[in-house]
Amino acid sequence: MRTLQSQSTDIYTDYVRDWKEKGGKVLGYACVATPVELIEAAGILPYRIKAFGHPDTELGDAYLARFNCRFCRSCLQLGLEGTYDFLDGLIETNGCDHLRGMFENWQYVKKYEFFHYLKVPHFLREDSLDYFTEEIQLMRRAMAEHFGTEISDDKLREAVDAYDEVFDRLKRLYALREKVPPVISGAEVMRLICTGSSMMAGDFSALLDEVLAEKEKAQPIPYKARLMIMGSATDEVDLIEDIESGGALIAADALCYGSRSFWRREGESGDPARLLAERYLGNLFCPRMFTEYDKRRDYILDTARRADVDGAIITYNKFCDLHGVEAVSLRMDLEKAGIPVLVLEKDYGSKADTGRIKTRVQAFLERLGK
Amino acid sequence: MPAQVEIRPYEGLINRVYEIFSIVDKLPENMSDEEVEGIMHVLPAELAKTMRAFMVPRVRSVSLKFLGLVKKWLDGAHEAKRTGKKVLLVPFNFPPEIVHCFENAWPITSEVLSTLGVVALEGQGERYWDYAMGLGLPDFACSANMIEVGSALTEADFAPDAVISDCFASCDINSKTHEFLARYLDIPLLFLEKTVDNSERGIKQYYKYFFRLIEDMEEFLGEKLDEERMRMVVENANRASELYWELWDLHKFSPCPVPNIFSLNTYGVRYTMWGTEEAVEVMREMVDLCKQRLAKGLYPAEAEVARSLWTYTSYYFDMGGLFNWMEENGITHLGDGLDLIFPQPIDTASRESMITGMAEVARNMPMTRQMGASSMSVQWLDDITWASRELDANCCIYCGHHSCKQTWSAASVVRAELMKRSKIPTLILQGDSWIKRMTPITVLQETIDEFVKNVVKRREVQARATG
Repeated sequence: MRTLQSQSTDIYTDYVRDWKEKGGKVLGYACVATPVELIEAAGILPYRIKAFGHPDTELGDAYLARFNCRFCRSCLQLGLEGTYDFLDGLIETNGCDHLRGMFENWQYVKKYEFFHYLKVPHFLREDSLDYFTEEIQLMRRAMAEHFGTEISDDKLREAVDAYDEVFDRLKRLYALREKVPPVISGAEVMRLICTGSSMMAGDFSALLDEVLAEKEKAQPIPYKARLMIMGSATDEVDLIEDIESGGALIAADALCYGSRSFWRREGESGDPARLLAERYLGNLFCPRMFTEYDKRRDYILDTARRADVDGAIITYNKFCDLHGVEAVSLRMDLEKAGIPVLVLEKDYGSKADTGRIKTRVQAFLERLGK
Repeated sequence: MPAQVEIRPYEGLINRVYEIFSIVDKLPENMSDEEVEGIMHVLPAELAKTMRAFMVPRVRSVSLKFLGLVKKWLDGAHEAKRTGKKVLLVPFNFPPEIVHCFENAWPITSEVLSTLGVVALEGQGERYWDYAMGLGLPDFACSANMIEVGSALTEADFAPDAVISDCFASCDINSKTHEFLARYLDIPLLFLEKTVDNSERGIKQYYKYFFRLIEDMEEFLGEKLDEERMRMVVENANRASELYWELWDLHKFSPCPVPNIFSLNTYGVRYTMWGTEEAVEVMREMVDLCKQRLAKGLYPAEAEVARSLWTYTSYYFDMGGLFNWMEENGITHLGDGLDLIFPQPIDTASRESMITGMAEVARNMPMTRQMGASSMSVQWLDDITWASRELDANCCIYCGHHSCKQTWSAASVVRAELMKRSKIPTLILQGDSWIKRMTPITVLQETIDEFVKNVVKRREVQARATG
């Protein structure tokens, strides 16, 4: 666990280095709508783009703009300055306007030989599911052709099973955090998920087994209040640490570098491509999906009740349209359900925000009487 | 948390704008300068500023027709409410003629309403924006929607019966704002997604979604689209489209005979009454006036110094300060991204052909076409490159409307490639196109002036020197 903690916020981890040195290929993606099983089935390491280190964003700003979310500008910065040069290609998704801009500019400058745009519909209906199934087949064909690999149905089913193993373990980990008293913190969980998002499923499962064995025997963590956090895409482990430093415990989350990346992956089709379409399009708990607010709200309320939280933090990156608007409805509904809410608009990775965030969380805990 | 700004029913944006536009019916067709000046003295300051821009002698006759069209559009909404028809709130990139095809429906367009609030109301609609902010909506939302939506959220204003959103995949903030409004008012949200896919397969899928939307509309309105009514609307739209291309061609002359403010008038017509006879009439008035100006060689300044194409929106909180100021200083506004509507004739042979034709029109509406393409920057660049060559633009201006995150994320590439491919420089401004307190018009004017003097004119001089 100690090694994991020290490496979990590295971009080019030992694991990825080893993989590359053995001749393995790595594909970058950013959005939870990307069916990583497909990449894994091709024998390629799926690598979820992160912006660890929160770099200055002068290159990112020159291509995107100050009016774009800083998380995307930071990822772009790392891409343009060469930190991500170990990638063998990129998978673009239309997660949000900022993300699309990030990928377009990244590819405009770097010109990866393999760059595939997976177009994800914004609503779930039979016709959009058909379209997304075809999209998955197109991505499958593009990868197979470019990397000269066969992605058989059997391999795809194996990858689906492997990820189900990961998801089961992550749920057990979440249960350790949700229980009273908890034995793992919110920051530790985010570190693990970030780490696992650049590992092959089997290896991540093995790592989770070790962590689970260790944590099941660990001492409870003292805390003043149990909180749930939700909102924009962020890999800010230090944000969670800042929040927890004042006595809060993030007992549950609805983040896409968190539970939203794995919690539900239901599907019933016997055809693996269709199954992936169902698993992803049918379970994208992201405000990019229109007309599905009730589903997201219910998911959040169920999670909050299960984790018995004292309050919720809705956080979003400045200029994040999807979560910025969604935050209003969520705040209203959570408060209606008797869950006090702190809405925290922030600039991604800004150290200048640390003091302000800590003060606001402290005030929130006082409001909760903790 | 209650919103911080209290709005009473008579203070709602649509209600107030409608009251103010009742003046339009009372204005004579041939107003003298003295009569115009007289009116300015009784109008509130903000409205007087707008009216002054529209009433300059060179555009006065067309402005009166245009304002009359807007009044009829607002009348139509009120009449619809009174007679039990459904009022559908649509974004600017949804072709209103689709709604006009239905007997039982009337379109109101949120960006047009916001603009009317800005140009006609005291305080320029900022109170509605403030109301929305008071609810907790983010300050990086788009004022083009949020001013009107803020008013609707008060639940004190004229309310739509449903919302149609077709911004999925081309503008997140627009889509989310309309989705939020529909939920808040507890009214249906009908939707149309743009497949971000220009392949044959993507287009086919878009058509499928479009036909499904028509079915959803029919179900909601309790009305099957009537082929004859549709044909009448589509024929009007086709006539307006022909006039649009005539006006487009008139832009090609130098000095440009098309007054700058016709850019706004064009999409003002496009986003409200397209498919009606009134729209055809206003388009024809604009074309006729421009032909007369061309014949007489009229231009508001001594010389045409710059021919600018605005790559996305313009600024709307001071019409005179932008459109008229520019042309009076020799800077032609050849149109902006919202004018790039690429109207195409629709085959009226059958119900099927007309719906397919409207689907194709919807697919090519501004923003949908560029930001909903397989690549935002490539499609946007292609369109701007084509338009700037067609119209012989010697510079481009990107408005830098704060909230347009999708265009902001492609603006840099478009500017660089436009320079590389067409040798056309682009000025990137920053501000809010609907809210004056972000960047005042004087600052915008100074920046445009410096750009024209230091970049555009200098390049022209150098080009002449080097042959």
